[in-house]
Amino acid sequence: MPLEPFADSRALTLGVELELQIVNTHDFDLAHGAPDLLRLVGRRKLPGEVKPEMTNSMIELSTGVCTDYTGALSQLSEIRDVLVECASKLNIGLSGGGTHPFQHWSDRRIFDTPRFNMLSELYGYLSKQFTIFGQHVHVGCPGPDAALVLLHGLSRFIPHFIALSASSPFVQGTDTGFHSARLNSVFAFPLSGRAPFTLTWEEFGRFFDKMTRTGVVQSMKDFYWDIRPKPEFGTIEVRVLDTPLTIEKAAALAAYIQCVARWLTFEQPFRPAEDDYLVYTFNRFQACRFGFDGTFVDPQTGEHRTIREDIAATLAEIEHHAIELGAEDACRRVRDDIGALGNDATWIRQTYEHEHLLAEVVRQQCLRWSR
Amino acid sequence: MTGDSRSELFFLPSWPPVPDAVLWVSLTIVVAGLIGEFVFRSFRLPRVVGYAVVGTVVSAFGLGPSDTILKPSFRLIVDLALALLLFELGSRISLRWLRTNPWLLATSLLESALTFVAVYFTLTFLGAEARVATAVAAIAVAASPAVAMRVASEFEASGQVTERMILLTGLNTFYAVLATRFVFGWLHAQHAGIWLGAIAHPLYLFAGSAVVAALLAYSVSLIARRLDLRNENSALLLLGMILLALSLTKMANLSTLLVPLLAGVLLRNSSERPWIWPRHFGTAGGALVLMLFVITGSVWSFDALMAGAGLGLAVIAVRLLAKMLVTVALARPSGISFRQGVALGVALSPISGVALVIMADLQGLYPEFAAELTGIVFSAIAVLELIGPIAVQAALRYVDEDNIR
Repeated sequence: MPLEPFADSRALTLGVELELQIVNTHDFDLAHGAPDLLRLVGRRKLPGEVKPEMTNSMIELSTGVCTDYTGALSQLSEIRDVLVECASKLNIGLSGGGTHPFQHWSDRRIFDTPRFNMLSELYGYLSKQFTIFGQHVHVGCPGPDAALVLLHGLSRFIPHFIALSASSPFVQGTDTGFHSARLNSVFAFPLSGRAPFTLTWEEFGRFFDKMTRTGVVQSMKDFYWDIRPKPEFGTIEVRVLDTPLTIEKAAALAAYIQCVARWLTFEQPFRPAEDDYLVYTFNRFQACRFGFDGTFVDPQTGEHRTIREDIAATLAEIEHHAIELGAEDACRRVRDDIGALGNDATWIRQTYEHEHLLAEVVRQQCLRWSR
Repeated sequence: MTGDSRSELFFLPSWPPVPDAVLWVSLTIVVAGLIGEFVFRSFRLPRVVGYAVVGTVVSAFGLGPSDTILKPSFRLIVDLALALLLFELGSRISLRWLRTNPWLLATSLLESALTFVAVYFTLTFLGAEARVATAVAAIAVAASPAVAMRVASEFEASGQVTERMILLTGLNTFYAVLATRFVFGWLHAQHAGIWLGAIAHPLYLFAGSAVVAALLAYSVSLIARRLDLRNENSALLLLGMILLALSLTKMANLSTLLVPLLAGVLLRNSSERPWIWPRHFGTAGGALVLMLFVITGSVWSFDALMAGAGLGLAVIAVRLLAKMLVTVALARPSGISFRQGVALGVALSPISGVALVIMADLQGLYPEFAAELTGIVFSAIAVLELIGPIAVQAALRYVDEDNIR
């Protein structure tokens, strides 16, 4: 299949996708509730879409095209309210969080569609271990070349997005020590990582053709990159975020990405270069492992600072763009998070410290998600 | 030499050796355990079917309880095992779910009412006496918490049908206990002319059981706040407390079915924090549950079958039909598919331990009247004891909710 043409989209528009956990309400383990929930939601009218995901314990919601933070938040809350109402009819809970803290991957069931069954066949236990929950943010781009420039510009900020959204400290009942353990599962996939450094769509098309010729990939869907172009929508898709515990944070993170994208597009503070990627995996690891306290190595200057400091510096740079986009509230949330509040991984750890029962932590996650 | 009258070989056992109860009980556990495993491995059927088969076979050779009355020691085991299962089941009942999905409560009330009415009319139509028909109809409202909980946990079932089966089974048990007490009291009053007891008995039963249940729930929550219930020792402690509550219940002449059920419900709904303990409270509980199935399997006799098999089968069929009619009709408004509605109706079909205890209580209260019912009720129990678990398993598989195959 050749690379599809890059569709038109309005520059800097937003789309948010969230993968959610479906849990039962007696021991709060994951439950196979997706088909039931989808059946009920299917009878309702929604601004976006609700779709099945890899296993029966996940569901994906997505907004339509939004112009700003307020729009994204209102669409998300409308979808959320319907989902929560349908879930309560079925006595199941919905929760954010990048991983379910104590589920056993072997208990998972693959959602019965040809694509999911094919993937399950191919990846074996990885596909069940892939019961992880992420937020994807689409940013509209004026054209394919601009999309690739923006993609490589945003790569520098991947550690920010990881640290801010991190909500997966526990895996299979154990504290991993990571803020985002979810991304460790993504690394296991052969086509994960970063997009190749190409700044024009023509060049990217050549890479894509070479890859399809090897038979390793058939479509863009087979790349599990941190940021990937989505020609079908005319967007680039940031995929490193854990699903946050609240829709407010999900909307704020989308808006933060939008502000950074606007800043990069209008002011071009950096010229993307292949060498930016020398520190990429280091920075990414630091963000997954240590959250805001992780070390950030500036790809241009080689200077070391904490991710917290780099986010604060970025917030100062994008202030004007935040005002233009109506994202002041979103940026205030981000500032609170890097200040005293901490990310969701910190909240999950603190709650566990207090409750000593992961099921109770999940119950409180469901509460945070539903209001 | 001196006056020792024993022979010199006094240390040898007397001949023939006299087996005691422990031998029979342990033999039953071993044989039932083996057959249960055999049934599971060879036919992929629930292990409890194997346990029940042991009981059925024992009875067929005339080794079971001859007069079809539960012996006190058997009654104790049945009470203990059911108490554990009912407590476990009660703690899965979320009253909030009934509020957020009122169609569930509607399903439950309609399904029970229709069962009662349908069984009553079928029996009178087939020539049973009205009072017998009324009493059997009230018993037929009951479902089987033992089968529901055992099959669900054996196949690690989860999903809408499993959850709803557990919820509706709990509610059915609750209705059946109150309805039978009311019906029996009322029938007796008609007969004896004393009306106070007919009203007062169910009231006392409900209020008294609620008080004991509240005490049990409160003390369990106190313990759970300090200890981790997942730990083996705490689970034993929990088991001990349920048994203690049960003995109080017996002393106060309350319902051994209502107390653990209500305690579970109160515990679950008094606090949002999830309660997690090993299923059936570990191995000790598991042995009791095994014995329960053997005993319920053994409660039948050729005499009883002769007297009531026809009517018993009619009750089973009509009851299943009534339940399915309602669960299917209300499937869509209550949020499940047609297929799930069918499965739910089938999953509610077993009747066993609870009906047995209700009958035993009746035998204690009004022995002559109870004797008129045993034919029908025990035939139904005997058949459903074997078919019920298989029906539940098939229903759960039909909607793909079983996780072990």
